[in-house]
Amino acid sequence: MAAGGGGSCDPLAPAGVPCAFSPHSQAYFALASTDGHLRVWETANNRLHQEYVPSAHLSGTCTCLAWAPARLQAKESPQRKKRKSEAVGMSNQTDLLALGTAVGSILLYSTVKGELHSKLISGGHDNRVNCIQWHQDSGCLYSCSDDKHIVEWNVQTCKVKCKWKGDNSSVSSLCISPDGKMLLSAGRTIKLWVLETKEVYRHFTGHATPVSSLMFTTIRPPNESQPFDGITGLYFLSGAVHDRLLNVWQVRSENKEKSAVMSFTVTDEPVYIDLTLSENKEEPVKLAVVCRDGQVHLFEHILNGYCKKPLTSNCTIQIATPGKGKKSTPKPIPILAAGFCSDKMSLLLVYGSWFQPTIERVALNSREPHMCLVRDISNCWAPKVETAITKVRTPVMNSEAKVLVPGIPGHHAAIKPAPPQTEQVESKRKSGGNEVSIEERLGAMDIDTHKKGKEDLQTNSFPVLLTQGLESNDFEMLNKVLQTRNVNLIKKTVLRMPLHTIIPLLQELTKRLQGHPNSAVLMVQWLKCVLTVHASYLSTLPDLVPQLGTLYQLMESRVKTFQKLSHLHGKLILLITQVTASEKTKGATSPGQKAKLVYEEESSEEESDDEIADKDSEDNWDEDEEESESEKDEDVEEEDEDAEGKDEENGEDRDTASEKELNGDSDLDPENESEEE
Amino acid sequence: MVEEENIRVVRCGGSELNFRRAVFSADSKYIFCVSGDFVKVYSTVTEECVHILHGHRNLVTGIQLNPNNHLQLYSCSLDGTIKLWDYIDGILIKTFIVGCKLHALFTLAQAEDSVFVIVNKEKPDIFQLVSVKLPKSSSQEVEAKELSFVLDYINQSPKCIAFGNEGVYVAAVREFYLSVYFFKKKTTSRFTLSSSRNKKHAKNNFTCVACHPTEDCIASGHMDGKIRLWNFYDDKKYTYTCLHWHHDMVMDLAFSVTGTSLLSGGRESVLVEWRDATEKNKEFLPRLGATIEHISVSPAGDLFCTSHSDNKIIIIHRNLEASAVIQGLVKDRSIFTGLMIDPRTKALVLNGKPGHLQFYSLQSDKQLYNLDIIQQEYINDYGLIQIELTKAAFGCFGNWLATVEQRQEKETELELQMKLWMYNKKTQGFILNTKINMPHEDCITALCFCNAEKSEQPTLVTASKDGYFKVWILTDDSDIYKKAVGWTCDFVGSYHKYQATNCCFSEDGSLLAVSFEEIVTIWDSVTWELKCTFCQRAGKIRHLCFGRLTCSKYLLGATENGILCCWNLLSCALEWNAKLNVRVMEPDPNSENIAAISQSSVGSDLFVFKPSEPRPLYIQKGISREKVQWGVFVPRDVPESFTSEAYQWLNRSQFYFLTKSQSLLTFSTKSPEEKLTPTSKQLLAEESLPTTPFYFILGKHRQQQDEKLNETLENELVQLPLTENIPAISELLHTPAHVLPSAAFLCSMFVNSLLLSKETKSAKEIPEDVDMEEEKESEDSDEENDFTEKVQDTSNTGLGEDIIHQLSKSEEKELRKFRKIDYSWIAAL
Repeated sequence: MAAGGGGSCDPLAPAGVPCAFSPHSQAYFALASTDGHLRVWETANNRLHQEYVPSAHLSGTCTCLAWAPARLQAKESPQRKKRKSEAVGMSNQTDLLALGTAVGSILLYSTVKGELHSKLISGGHDNRVNCIQWHQDSGCLYSCSDDKHIVEWNVQTCKVKCKWKGDNSSVSSLCISPDGKMLLSAGRTIKLWVLETKEVYRHFTGHATPVSSLMFTTIRPPNESQPFDGITGLYFLSGAVHDRLLNVWQVRSENKEKSAVMSFTVTDEPVYIDLTLSENKEEPVKLAVVCRDGQVHLFEHILNGYCKKPLTSNCTIQIATPGKGKKSTPKPIPILAAGFCSDKMSLLLVYGSWFQPTIERVALNSREPHMCLVRDISNCWAPKVETAITKVRTPVMNSEAKVLVPGIPGHHAAIKPAPPQTEQVESKRKSGGNEVSIEERLGAMDIDTHKKGKEDLQTNSFPVLLTQGLESNDFEMLNKVLQTRNVNLIKKTVLRMPLHTIIPLLQELTKRLQGHPNSAVLMVQWLKCVLTVHASYLSTLPDLVPQLGTLYQLMESRVKTFQKLSHLHGKLILLITQVTASEKTKGATSPGQKAKLVYEEESSEEESDDEIADKDSEDNWDEDEEESESEKDEDVEEEDEDAEGKDEENGEDRDTASEKELNGDSDLDPENESEEE
Repeated sequence: MVEEENIRVVRCGGSELNFRRAVFSADSKYIFCVSGDFVKVYSTVTEECVHILHGHRNLVTGIQLNPNNHLQLYSCSLDGTIKLWDYIDGILIKTFIVGCKLHALFTLAQAEDSVFVIVNKEKPDIFQLVSVKLPKSSSQEVEAKELSFVLDYINQSPKCIAFGNEGVYVAAVREFYLSVYFFKKKTTSRFTLSSSRNKKHAKNNFTCVACHPTEDCIASGHMDGKIRLWNFYDDKKYTYTCLHWHHDMVMDLAFSVTGTSLLSGGRESVLVEWRDATEKNKEFLPRLGATIEHISVSPAGDLFCTSHSDNKIIIIHRNLEASAVIQGLVKDRSIFTGLMIDPRTKALVLNGKPGHLQFYSLQSDKQLYNLDIIQQEYINDYGLIQIELTKAAFGCFGNWLATVEQRQEKETELELQMKLWMYNKKTQGFILNTKINMPHEDCITALCFCNAEKSEQPTLVTASKDGYFKVWILTDDSDIYKKAVGWTCDFVGSYHKYQATNCCFSEDGSLLAVSFEEIVTIWDSVTWELKCTFCQRAGKIRHLCFGRLTCSKYLLGATENGILCCWNLLSCALEWNAKLNVRVMEPDPNSENIAAISQSSVGSDLFVFKPSEPRPLYIQKGISREKVQWGVFVPRDVPESFTSEAYQWLNRSQFYFLTKSQSLLTFSTKSPEEKLTPTSKQLLAEESLPTTPFYFILGKHRQQQDEKLNETLENELVQLPLTENIPAISELLHTPAHVLPSAAFLCSMFVNSLLLSKETKSAKEIPEDVDMEEEKESEDSDEENDFTEKVQDTSNTGLGEDIIHQLSKSEEKELRKFRKIDYSWIAAL
């Protein structure tokens, strides 16, 4: 499986560190790093499962490793009548890991117990072990070494079963045939041995440099009509040191054919190869080759006879760091190993440094010829011992996250202009005043501009400054005006504001209300003034609902806890202020633009009380808004309590009931109606 | 092809680990814990389960090492048996049948052939400590009926019994009494806390007790958090000192092996080490995560371990550093989130530690990690109302995770927060994207993402008791400073102020179904218009789901009145309904199948059906006696290929469900035999480790005694021509351990065989030889002493002993020879 390579002195030693995924579910990834440590990682959560340092890790570094075939543990016991569920499930436990060392010994390490299981020395190799292969089912282990020999070990007794000379030079790679009866070995040339007799069955040309990996790619011959003897017709793959070509060979019945059937070309020397076996003729072999340059090449090919041209990869995977800012350029992150998951549709990638590799499962998309994954592994460098024990992961919570609190737009659905049906209803309701009001507004605006000069003489209000601020959206100018605490000043300014600026002002106030609570307190004063003074104007606007929807929601959410109290309070305030306002406007010198209005109001003066009450019910929508700030007003609180007291005297039931009715009206404002239909 | 057997319910993980104190092996390599009907053997280094000892037919209630052979383990169970195990190989050696329910087990090195158990006497709540004599016999099953009474009226919990001062006395606590029974004098002394009636000390009843290993000192833990150290001068005279740090009940106490320090733990989840039994000298290991329920100490003294209420065992070094955590499925608290599958890791996701989501790998039955959602320090105290993680959902192939947390102190004071996490591929972790305070005015009842493949915009729907459901969509929040996306509310819907109870999207994401109590409403997911309503007046809707694939025109709803309805969305009419009290209804993501678990008074039944067919595909009655709370289909990585119609529903997915006691169960078709066979095939590699320098020193020491031994390797040591020739030895060594009679019984025979072969050998040499044999089996060298002792014991007493066991012919032959030998040399010793 893994290409070995510890000793860097040998130029013909394969590159890359010995590493391997555990068989079957690939739950673990074992990596023997050059510092002599064996580390086993959990692939599912990228956690260091265990670390083992062989006692002679400096003299005899690990050169190759191989997982033992999975052992199945008996975990289920039959169901019994009394307690229905008995069995404990845990399947395919992998345990033993064989490590070959540079001095020729082989260690068997138990990953379950976390300790050395046994050491195979006596009668074995006296030089660097190059490759280890476990036999699938007989409990044997095959190893090959620089001492030119191949050794068959009996794992049960830890003794040498057989030892024979495999080549004239060092033997660098081994592979066992799918049926378990043949063995491939390779130095530079490749030999196929019959395991029973230890005789050479076939020779293959091999590579110019030592073969670093050998692998069978098929388990059935392509031509199924012929009787299958277990080996004839099978394909296998070989990769060699310093060789950018992977060759595919076919075991043939006739002895003469010795050259490769086809080859795959990659960008650099292969360091780790994994493939999915094709089980039938139609299913392509999928091959993942990790190269020394840190790229993964994926091939997908149906093996079928000769192919002269070397095949290039279907897909290349690279990993790079995100280049932060303009200065740093993205750097490639080397991929150490890649293994196919059991569903054959995704790939486990191991990348980063061998000290702290990251393991990720990547879904394969065969259509893309090139995949470049951007990964930030900068925070992976610090070894996280703490998390290794507690297994707690803390997701990132930073200030960039969006925060939605009640009242902020986005927390509640935005109030869209009502659908046509409801608009008709609305327009019916408001049609009377609608057209007139436009004229009125135009007129008022005209007057307004004319009169501005006169008003400027008064220094106790800033309508002009505020208007200019709103028009130019000048933050400082607005601040200057809006951050005042003088209630009188606010009142006067609002009173003199031209009507067309009311809506922009309200929107500005809404924006500020959403901000810091301190500034919101100031804004409440403003809002209150605007709403009390310009309630009548606002109620004439046809598109009021969408325009002030957010403000409404904001206040609605903020006054939720004291709903009834604030409703009552708001109602009373409105009554009182309107009464006083109307009285004031009667007597006081009103701004020129109001002259018209005064006339109108006078006409209805006799029945003022009733009318105001009527207005109330109409203006309920505004009321609600008003309640919010009144509730925040500390100075009015006393009044509040008084009001409440009165309320109780009057008999709460009736009052609240009527209130509810009114509220019901107000709640059934256009936006709600539209939702329900 | 898989052999098709009956579908059986199998437990697949999440078994309880914290029921009793864990027990360490003598060399601290393994740790044992009871887990339901099994005993699990874990490696202390790798946290891996090495063996599962199964054989008991009811809850295992106690385990102890065999004091005479530290490679064996006793276990007792409610099924009335005591079993002896060889834990290295995981083999049952012997079963002692006691007959009555056993509630706890104690062993004592001084009481060689008997163990102590807690049994239940006639009345339901009166428990007795009795000693059981374990008869020697070669047969596998032995009746052990010889009970002798030790203490009466004791607490059921094994924490309230402790043996002290090398087995001189046993201390038991119950309520306000401490009773001490002295074995030699056979007297019981009883001490009452004098101040127990006092109001100030109202809560000082005993909770647990521990005895000093070598001195007359008893430590007792109390309800009020105090630890009292009782020192005895006499049977009646005592003094006690008080150690007070815990503010809540002391859950468990343990003395270190040497007795120099005392360990205590409780709800504070802090392990306190009291050095020299003084209040000043104490060390802490804080933040262990959950209430400490048990503390145990390894016999070698290098490790401690604490069992916690959240189903984990922490292994702690002598210097109070946690070294490993054996974590089962966390089951401290109730599961609100239900079972989910993380599309990315394929792990099972549910509530974990307080404020965490746990990711549990079903393949390896191991916890992957806990994701800290709430990110607040958890204060472990009684009566505190905590922030609970109530809902979670994965969306868009695992790219988004939505979590809802709530804290409700009083009826009106609800704190609610919804967090939307984005999976960042660059850093391979979740990042908070949007935090929504009070997304609804009342508890959120359901949460679902639109998982349609071609939906261009991630969409999330929350339904709440406040009568609204809200649709949240991902929008572009970029400004000139940064590119960003965030979630905003797109639509709020309601239906006549009814509480919204469930919501779900159709497979293609075009329709949203929201149930408002008894009424199901169907909304168009593009315009958010109410398309139609279904109302069956059959009680509140409990579950709601759309059919999939070919059955996508059906909508299923299960109501609280026990009716399962299926509506056809094309005709807008009820297709069929059935009377079924559905507890859990889960659609299979890979097929049309829907699994429903119904609850009846007898147990839970499983029904698997297709919405289009009136007849269920598969019915399994009585899958669990308990209430089933949650279920989920887990897609298989590699599809199975069952051909028979009844099992086809298991081809592409596996169904897991969680019962009320939080055991995770699933269905398996493999026969138990099939699961068992691979064990025989499993790789049996013998342990053969090369010699260490230390070994050479020992080896040389032996060479002086026996010149014939080869010098170098142990392999050669083993191949002693002397011993190999003797049939009795080869028989002894080559017979499997579980069929051998007890060591004490074999011993005399063994010694005898050696005597016959060498007339000149002195008695001293014999045990030495034996020792070498033992050495081959890689046993500790300190075994040597034990062994000589044993040999002498049995050879003295063995003669008079009546041999009632069934013997094989060869053994009888040996015994006959044995009688003829002159034992006068023993007298000469």
